[in-house]
Amino acid sequence: MIKKDVAVIGAGMTLFRRRLKETGKELSFLASKMAMEDAGIQKKDLDMVVMGTAPDAFDGIHMKGENLLDGAAGAGKPYVRVFNGGGTGVFAPIAGWWHVASGVADVCLVVAEEKMGSCYPHPQTAFRHIWDPILDRPLNPNLVWLFAMEMNRYMTVHNIKKEDIARVAVKNKRNAVGHPCAQLADPNITVDDVLNSEMMAWPVQRLDISPPSDGAAALIFVSEDVARQYTDNPIWIDGVGWNIDSTMWTNRDLYFPRYVAKAARMAYKMAGISNPRKDIDFAEPYDPFDYKELHHMEGLLLCDKGEAPILTREGVTQRDGDLPICPSGGLLGVGNPIAATMGQKVCELYWQLAGKAGKRQIPGDPRIGVGQAWGDIMQMATVMVMRR
Amino acid sequence: MTFLEKQTDPTAPLHWRGNMQADYLYPNGVAGDKFFKHIMQNDSFLATKCDECGKVLFPPRLYCEDCFIEIPEENWMEVPAEGTVRLFTVAKLNAHGKKLPEPKIMAMIDIDKTDGALLGVIKSNDSERDFTGARVRANLRPKDAREGTLKDIVNWNLI
Repeated sequence: MIKKDVAVIGAGMTLFRRRLKETGKELSFLASKMAMEDAGIQKKDLDMVVMGTAPDAFDGIHMKGENLLDGAAGAGKPYVRVFNGGGTGVFAPIAGWWHVASGVADVCLVVAEEKMGSCYPHPQTAFRHIWDPILDRPLNPNLVWLFAMEMNRYMTVHNIKKEDIARVAVKNKRNAVGHPCAQLADPNITVDDVLNSEMMAWPVQRLDISPPSDGAAALIFVSEDVARQYTDNPIWIDGVGWNIDSTMWTNRDLYFPRYVAKAARMAYKMAGISNPRKDIDFAEPYDPFDYKELHHMEGLLLCDKGEAPILTREGVTQRDGDLPICPSGGLLGVGNPIAATMGQKVCELYWQLAGKAGKRQIPGDPRIGVGQAWGDIMQMATVMVMRR
Repeated sequence: MTFLEKQTDPTAPLHWRGNMQADYLYPNGVAGDKFFKHIMQNDSFLATKCDECGKVLFPPRLYCEDCFIEIPEENWMEVPAEGTVRLFTVAKLNAHGKKLPEPKIMAMIDIDKTDGALLGVIKSNDSERDFTGARVRANLRPKDAREGTLKDIVNWNLI
């Protein structure tokens, strides 16, 4: 039972870069401080703190949630770390939401941090250990190979051309030009650049993928009881959903992420959204690969199966289109510090709905946005709907 | 009964042998970088002072974790590489239960003129004594051998 409506009143985000000199604690502090200043909140005002940060193996500190907490205003507070791989960027704010919606906290800081640069020489090393040790690992697969198979399945089922997928990378890297934290913004990138980039595992090429990054993001959630004390312009969390499928990924048809659809339906039901295509003004689906944005648009029920590449080709998903998708620049343009992509997937909803997105602002006064993250072995979906 | 079965040879069941190897380069951080660069050039330490609570943070931090404010540049200060042992243990076995060649005296040292402390190893031939309250000074590597890590402090000498 939901006891309190929950509002977002502040957000913060650090630079995203391949390797930053700051420690994870320092990154957490910088993002937290920005969000707290945006909201007009001090540490003493915080009832609780939620930290979202993905595998310990990235930062290389076991139980890194505990390590990070003093940089996240968590020392001496009720504090919890949540994590479900790539889903964490939206799951951490879901956890923040339930801290407040349950009536347990009036003010909750949510911080998301990732420092992938510590894992040397490349964080793919850490991904080597996520597989089933008996059925997958003896073949030494890596994530790019896995997603290449999923991408191929999606392309095959719907007869999608590679160039229609490459358009997503182009759009997002261009959108990121307006983002002050962006790592891979490019105002001049073309579809040919993507199609001519290095082949990593067919059909995945270098520019189809987001980069590993360091970074942090933060949000301030408050209950309806105190929201007006801090702002005249609260942004409301209308619905949350999450869902996880089996690790037996070999036994699922990967052309459609059914777990995303289940999570979306859960969130839409809570938000009273019966027709997501009509009701939702813009979306931030998880886009670690360009095809994933399309896959997730379909999973979020924003279009028919196989229709997302067509909408992209027709310009519907551009920032000034009818259904802007990843106006932040997404993971492809801004960067992919796993949990800290909360910055694009949820902070961006807040900035857009509050009219604070600056150069990235969607025209036409958007009222409802949906953000989504995705993770584990093509299993986990986390969804949040926000409203002005 | 199942619960009483005991597997004495872990390699007996069919299995896949794996590892979870991963290597790391941990950056010292913004505050840590300044702290260790100072030690490379000097025989003293740096600390930072929080204007709000007045605490002198050691090791120096970019922020005060209690007041949650950023520490301004001018609040960095030099402090002596000396302190007082607050608590200690004398380790006789290593993490694998093997006897150490010599007892290792591990101590928490309150650093002079600060509100912080550092973990250190005390150099002493008398591992039976009580080190609580002992005054100690950092024994640093020769300057040309310092690398900007905690290992630049070889151990701590009793004063």
